[in-house]
Amino acid sequence: MDQATLITVVIFVYLAVTLGVGLAAGRRASRSVQGYVAGDRDFGLLVMYFITGATVFSAFAFLGGPGWAYSRGAAAFYILTYGVLGMAPWYAMGPKVAALGRRFGFVTQAQLLVGRFPSRGLSALMAILTLAAFIPYVTIQMRGAGIVIEAVTDGRIPLAVGAAVAYGVVLVYVLTSGVSAVGWTNTFQGVVMLVIAWALGIYLPYHLYGGVGPMFEQILAERPELLSLPGLTGSGEPWSWAGYSTAILASAIGVTMWPHLFMKAYTARSDKIIRRTVILFPTFQIFLIPVFLIGFAGVLFPESPDQADFILPFLVLRSELPALVVGLFCAGALSASMSTGDALLHGAASVVVEDGVQPFRKLSDKAQRLLMRILVVAVGGLAYLFALVEGFSLVDLLLASYGIICQYMPAMVAALYWRRATTAGVVSGLLVGSAVSVFFFLVPELKPLGMHEGILGLIAHVPVLLAVSLRGKPQDDEHVEGFLNV
Amino acid sequence: MAFRTWRRITWAYYLTFAVAVIWPVQSLVNTPKPFVLGLPFQMVWPAGWILGGLLVLWRLDAARTRHIGAASTGGDE
Repeated sequence: MDQATLITVVIFVYLAVTLGVGLAAGRRASRSVQGYVAGDRDFGLLVMYFITGATVFSAFAFLGGPGWAYSRGAAAFYILTYGVLGMAPWYAMGPKVAALGRRFGFVTQAQLLVGRFPSRGLSALMAILTLAAFIPYVTIQMRGAGIVIEAVTDGRIPLAVGAAVAYGVVLVYVLTSGVSAVGWTNTFQGVVMLVIAWALGIYLPYHLYGGVGPMFEQILAERPELLSLPGLTGSGEPWSWAGYSTAILASAIGVTMWPHLFMKAYTARSDKIIRRTVILFPTFQIFLIPVFLIGFAGVLFPESPDQADFILPFLVLRSELPALVVGLFCAGALSASMSTGDALLHGAASVVVEDGVQPFRKLSDKAQRLLMRILVVAVGGLAYLFALVEGFSLVDLLLASYGIICQYMPAMVAALYWRRATTAGVVSGLLVGSAVSVFFFLVPELKPLGMHEGILGLIAHVPVLLAVSLRGKPQDDEHVEGFLNV
Repeated sequence: MAFRTWRRITWAYYLTFAVAVIWPVQSLVNTPKPFVLGLPFQMVWPAGWILGGLLVLWRLDAARTRHIGAASTGGDE
């Protein structure tokens, strides 16, 4: 058996195991909307740990992370920094969100927000913004899967076919088993990606440079600009401190506001499990260190890939590794992509049905599940088309999505902690913040000091939320107490 | 130490963490040397804050568990 065939076999075995785990998981959950969307609120610590870590760390981390370290040097350290900063407030917010879910039957983020701030328009707005942010995120995951499969099979399986096969598997288990499949496949995929990242991150610097220290000594001697913060931009110019710092802040503010992550608070068996998941999250975050080592290992490599995001498969294929190891690397990368992509597809369908359709037209439990499945296929199909045509860097796409998602934080903090917040204030803030963020994403040359558009959006958002809320009539005390005192 | 004290320590730690990894503080810690376990110091700096964050939250949780006692409420196990 030649190398490419053996690698292809390993990939298909991995996909078969993932499919088996996903389908088996579905037998545990009830056939209700609560079972499909919230896993009957019965996930334990093991699944919550991996679903959180594997969902946060995606193709963006596994391929984009090394790509940034390789092409932009120390700029990549922002990716290492923001996750734990962003996850820490969830220690307090997560259990509160879960308690409100149990009290009112919420299964989505917008249901909580609209529960506190009654407005069908707000519900629809959240559904639209979520979908707008999810499509590029799913696109990233699909491209990541396609890139890796194309690279390791030496082009025998092109990007379009590789992405279609990997996401065909995702579609089958998400359609069949809902969030239970997402949870258990993420557990399997999380283990695979952690093992592969650490193994390659330690092996490649030793194989190519004789160790991690010698590798950085050589980089410092030949490319010192890569080891000076805030690193470089995509075009090789020095990045601004304002850009670096606001990328950390926007990402930290946005990380728990991603609806597919936020909704997992409703799946936990208890509040204690949510807290323990937050405490253990840094152990997952640290896996970015070997991921960056892989990227830095490519800096002084004599050849270079066409795109920076290809550096990981590029190095793996040129390091004289056995075919089995290359296949396992591919499984790790696919794990990173699919473990986030499945949560996104499931989350997008759940949000559109529960927040975009249900408030306007009540559907039966059965009809909701059917519509969710149709939407999983529709969103997957749309993202697949984008994956074939778009040409942005993976991380740039994700940064753009964060601009919109971090606008949810002020609204959520207001819903959970601010008695005086009003529906008009929250809707106005969200609209202004999102509009400002999108404007600066589309016209980046106008961004002051190169700041992240999400932070610029928040600078406009928060005063509007405060001013409009304080000018309006306060909400009924009894209604507010139901949300603040849980 | 009391739960409230640990809660304050946690808030203070994470605020300091946030300030320490952005401009201007991070610009003062912008040197690759000394290498720690072979890694440049700018990479070890956030990694250290991350691991410290784990310890602080772990201590907060232990204090919380003691504070609430065996008879936990509100959905806790």
